Amino acid sequence: MNRALIVARKEVTETLRDRRAMLMTIATAALAGPIFLALIFNMIASQGERARTLRLPVGGAQYAPALVAFLEREGVRIQPLPADAEARIRAGELDVALVVDPAYDDQVADGKPAKVSLIYDRSRDRARASIDQAESLLRAYNRQWGAQRLMLRGVVPEVAQPLDIVAVDLATPQQSGALVLFLVAYYGLFAAVMGGMPVALDATAGERERQSLEPLLATPASAGEIVVGKWLAVAAFALLVVVVTLAGFTLTLTFAPLPPVGVPFLFGGREFVRFLVILLPMIALMPAVLLWLGSRGRTIKEAQTNLSLLLFVVSIVPVAQLFLQRREPDWLVAAPVSGQYLLLNRALRGEALAWGDLALSWVVPALLVALALWGMARRYADESVLAGK
Amino acid sequence: MIVVDRLVKSFGKHGEVHAVDDVSFVAPAGEITGLLGPNGAGKTTLLRMLATLVVADAGRATIDGRDVVADRAQVRRRLGVLSDARGLYPRLSGRENIAYYAALHGLDGAERERRIDRLVDELGLADVAKRRAQGYSQGERMKVAIARALVHDPDTILLDEPTNGLDIMSVRALRDQLRRLRASGKTLLFSSHVMQEVAALCDRIVILGRGRVVAIGTAPELMDQARAASLEDAFVTLLGSGEGLAA
Repeated sequence: MNRALIVARKEVTETLRDRRAMLMTIATAALAGPIFLALIFNMIASQGERARTLRLPVGGAQYAPALVAFLEREGVRIQPLPADAEARIRAGELDVALVVDPAYDDQVADGKPAKVSLIYDRSRDRARASIDQAESLLRAYNRQWGAQRLMLRGVVPEVAQPLDIVAVDLATPQQSGALVLFLVAYYGLFAAVMGGMPVALDATAGERERQSLEPLLATPASAGEIVVGKWLAVAAFALLVVVVTLAGFTLTLTFAPLPPVGVPFLFGGREFVRFLVILLPMIALMPAVLLWLGSRGRTIKEAQTNLSLLLFVVSIVPVAQLFLQRREPDWLVAAPVSGQYLLLNRALRGEALAWGDLALSWVVPALLVALALWGMARRYADESVLAGK
Repeated sequence: MIVVDRLVKSFGKHGEVHAVDDVSFVAPAGEITGLLGPNGAGKTTLLRMLATLVVADAGRATIDGRDVVADRAQVRRRLGVLSDARGLYPRLSGRENIAYYAALHGLDGAERERRIDRLVDELGLADVAKRRAQGYSQGERMKVAIARALVHDPDTILLDEPTNGLDIMSVRALRDQLRRLRASGKTLLFSSHVMQEVAALCDRIVILGRGRVVAIGTAPELMDQARAASLEDAFVTLLGSGEGLAA
């Protein structure tokens, strides 16, 4: 049998023996999907709930009885305005409040625009649905009243509406729930790092710390064979954890009784396979980088410091991409992590995946795998790796 | 047979630490050669050069006629090394630890099992080898490490301070094993800073001090050379001072 495979098999056996660590890794990976999806779906559901029965505190309701009556007809529950309304909106306890100006009646009588203030804090995601609903109701009232005035003057209301705006929302059902998409993609990427991390640490810095590296290097196994063997073992665990994580998301989205939020979501067997294919470059790359970083540490502790840097990069890149809401440039497909995140998003949105893009997403990771393994083999062939026990 | 010819190795940014400085000696087959010297005399560095792990700055060494640098792969196949670092894999059993090295040396199937069985028997590891290495005592770890180094039946065996941290029973078991190997015609090179150890076992002694060979010979020859009544006095006299030599 090839020596690299012998090394790989030994690393796998040793890792599997650590039952507790294995169970923890698998359990965390499997539960990530169900837990986060449950949280997010509940959040979306409660947003919908709030929007359906808008509770609107109104100040100075007595100045505009017609407006209040209109709102009530539209199903809004009018409430008295608390004295500390602004503070409570800032604190997120109230979504939105309406204040009618005391001069409302006089302004109407003078034929001037009557002043009403809508108070809200748009930075609160959960309040957004209520704010939008209150705004659109006020606009509707405005339009209705204006049309009545025009008709009283013998003018057809259409005169005041030169545009007929028809909203055509191109979001396919899968395009909704962007946060869910982000999370699935994020965890898929993350799993490739998390799955390989403990094995990589143990196989590099752990081996040095336990003083078993020197005798291993004195065997006929070359540094290259040892490095490739370790890489195969770490990649096997990265693959395992990615599969478990994705399976967790797939099973949850398929079978779990999640609250109905009107997001018909496509994540089934086909998406599972596409995800796996997209993540393969990461399943190859992350273990190589983890091993390279690990081999530069004399002790597990030292290596852990190195590894946290990688973890930081992998976790920050998708977040940055989420916030940079611009359209991604084409070359981004070739960038490791970013490229995978981009392709995962496309797959989730139900877009077709081009083979060219997939191939392109492999180029840089493949080069980096070769570079990292080469660097590690050089390190192991160098006598300084024996120093400093 | 090991032939060491004027080996030089320095460390540090400008090579200012002369770990091994112009060392030459011969360790014949069928004999146990002892490398004796205080801590820091260059024993480990010398053994690492012979184990092909460290490349000398100058000079050369051959093992059974093969150069340790140019024919590194061939040398490794016939070499058993018990290095200063002798960690086992804690989650593998003793037997699995040995089998891993056997596999890396290209052994498999019945041949591998037969070799492991024999070593387990010779070293009295029957019960130990089934357990995971996690809970081993110093002596048990040592014996498994020896078995691991010998599993491919090497012609040449290098041992770096093999008795460190062992109790008297384990030391005796180790000595018996080394004598058995000598009887079968192997070349053994053994480093120690413990004089009694070397005196009890070695046919030929190379005394190292500060990276240089101070004297070479059998125990009586060394006593003669130093005009000393005991081996201990001979060591101290030959090293020129009582520098850190453990009794």
